[in-house]
Amino acid sequence: MGDPLRSAVERYARFRTQWYGLPTLLVVVFSFLAVLPMLRGVSLLGVSPLGWLSLNSIILTLVWATAAQAWNIMSGYTGQFSFGHAAFFGIGAYATILLTADFGLSPWVGMLIGSLLAAGYGLLIGVLTFRYGLEGHYFGLATLAFAELLRYLFNNLAVLGGASGFFKPLPREYASGPGLAAFQFATDLPYYYVILGFLALVSVVSLVINRSQLGYYLFAIRERETAASAVGIPTFRYKLLGISVSAFFTAWPGAFWAMYFNTIRPDTVFDLLVNVEILLPAIVGGVGTVLGPILGSLIAIPASEFVRQSFEIPGVNNAVYGIILIAIVLYSPRGVVSWPSRLVELLRTRTALLSDDVR
Amino acid sequence: MDWCFASSRGEWIASAVMAVPSQLGGLDATVPLSLPGPAILAQYLVFAVLLGGIYGLVALGLTMIFGVMDVINFAHGALMVVAMYALMTASRMSGVSPFLLIPLAIALLFILGVGIYRATIAPIIDAPQENQLIVTFGVLLILTSIVQILFGSDPQKLELGLGSFRVAGVFVPEGQLYALIIAVIALAATWLFLQRTMVGRAIRGTADNRDGAQYVGIDVPRVDMLTFGIGAALAGLAGAVVPLFQSITPSLGDQYLINAFVVVVLGGLGSFPGAFVGGLVIGFIQVFGLAFLEGSTYQILIFLVFILVLLVRPEGLLGGASDG
Repeated sequence: MGDPLRSAVERYARFRTQWYGLPTLLVVVFSFLAVLPMLRGVSLLGVSPLGWLSLNSIILTLVWATAAQAWNIMSGYTGQFSFGHAAFFGIGAYATILLTADFGLSPWVGMLIGSLLAAGYGLLIGVLTFRYGLEGHYFGLATLAFAELLRYLFNNLAVLGGASGFFKPLPREYASGPGLAAFQFATDLPYYYVILGFLALVSVVSLVINRSQLGYYLFAIRERETAASAVGIPTFRYKLLGISVSAFFTAWPGAFWAMYFNTIRPDTVFDLLVNVEILLPAIVGGVGTVLGPILGSLIAIPASEFVRQSFEIPGVNNAVYGIILIAIVLYSPRGVVSWPSRLVELLRTRTALLSDDVR
Repeated sequence: MDWCFASSRGEWIASAVMAVPSQLGGLDATVPLSLPGPAILAQYLVFAVLLGGIYGLVALGLTMIFGVMDVINFAHGALMVVAMYALMTASRMSGVSPFLLIPLAIALLFILGVGIYRATIAPIIDAPQENQLIVTFGVLLILTSIVQILFGSDPQKLELGLGSFRVAGVFVPEGQLYALIIAVIALAATWLFLQRTMVGRAIRGTADNRDGAQYVGIDVPRVDMLTFGIGAALAGLAGAVVPLFQSITPSLGDQYLINAFVVVVLGGLGSFPGAFVGGLVIGFIQVFGLAFLEGSTYQILIFLVFILVLLVRPEGLLGGASDG
């Protein structure tokens, strides 16, 4: 009875090890994401299974997927666990709004400058912490401190909007009107495809790094830094590269956030919870994998949205995040992406046991 | 994405921080722009010591778990919050003075701590450090959510009728003074427990060298369980004294947690005297920063000091002394 299932699973396991396995899966996932807004309207036998998903919530799903994908390039690949990526997210958001509102620049230029600033801040954090050999807990706490530092800095500097933050400028103040050039749209659907594009780009970057020599260097640092450095990998330089690339792309969802919502404040973009929302999808999906952050976000954020809608109690979605985090770390630390291979192992041991019985 | 929750928390923290000096004795912190007289300085000094003592107490349980188990307990602040609300509810329902209920809060938190350890920390104690960090953050989210659902997010105050008295022209707020006295007693009791009892020796031995402790026959998982329980109980004590001088919200723990991290690293991981030295440093920066700098700028200073210590002396000001 298990045979058709087993052969299917085995075939999938073989497919995953081929060079085209992961890219094909990514194409499948992105095709699904491309039609997801329409799928919400599809009804089967009179019920629409995805009808409860608001466009707003799947946009946020992709925002956190993009941020987690960027976080993963550093923390997943090099193993330097950052708990302060809200810093880069917030820099991206603030740079985009500030440069657009005060200097009339295109938000896209603002986003690019914000990404460079975030990369610079990442470089600063990296130079300071890696040079002094901070690792593990200490590195995590240091990154958190660098993020909280920015929160209080922005809260207290009137030039940067202070605690009340910034209002998004109207599109006609710096462009001809809503549209792609203005990074503002009259409806939510174009926003969805913009953030989907961001996610696709960051995923491709992540995939390319994953498959390149650079990726192998980063993995070597993760597995054993002293050994990596002993075989001649300049670990300090590659860790810096990792953190700045990661920071650069984390600024993108931040910039998107700024252009999607009406206001940004230090306590929303630099919040302690933002750090968690950024790393949560990668943890749930599988740290250090390309598919993980996307799958993790697709599971965790709609799940919390579902619970929020079902119970209508403020704060309950945070409890859902908490439960998901604990359950994943305790029972499946390699994340959701490891489930098919775990199934294969399970089936193999079961058949082995069965054949023993026959004998 | 419940951003209303996040934002109301941020505003609340801001207002709480602003409220500290007024609760400390009715002084307006932003007024003295001119050079302060000795009386004002003495007043600030008293406030700084009181606040520093409380930070030291908050950091005590955190530094113990960190020192013995090498686990960053993100749930520490949330455990404090559980104790705050438990104490307040018990006091309101029974009409008993909250001072008499403090042992109850400690016992409750010890049991909760042991439960959390067995359910979430014990299975992954040998896993990479970030796994424990994530799990304790999960516990933080769950505990804060539960408190928020049960009690709402509006600030609540325990009316004790505590005032303040004057010594040589300096105001001493009673609530904070009692909190400081309790903190010192807690420090002394924990110190004696660690120095003079067999269990205390086992805990110190485990903190020194986990493998070595195992070899000489110490039941390390049991020590871990006790340590986490005692750490949580100390969080409970810290949480129980907070309502004596401050109104409480479910997210109050976050503010204490972040500064307690700073205190722990500043003082040196696992160092009890270090926790109080670090607490005093943070207390001084906060009180004098509130007095002479705008808004919550002092918090920036706290993080700068923190980063500096992490870089230059990650073992902390009193680090190296891991003797409890």
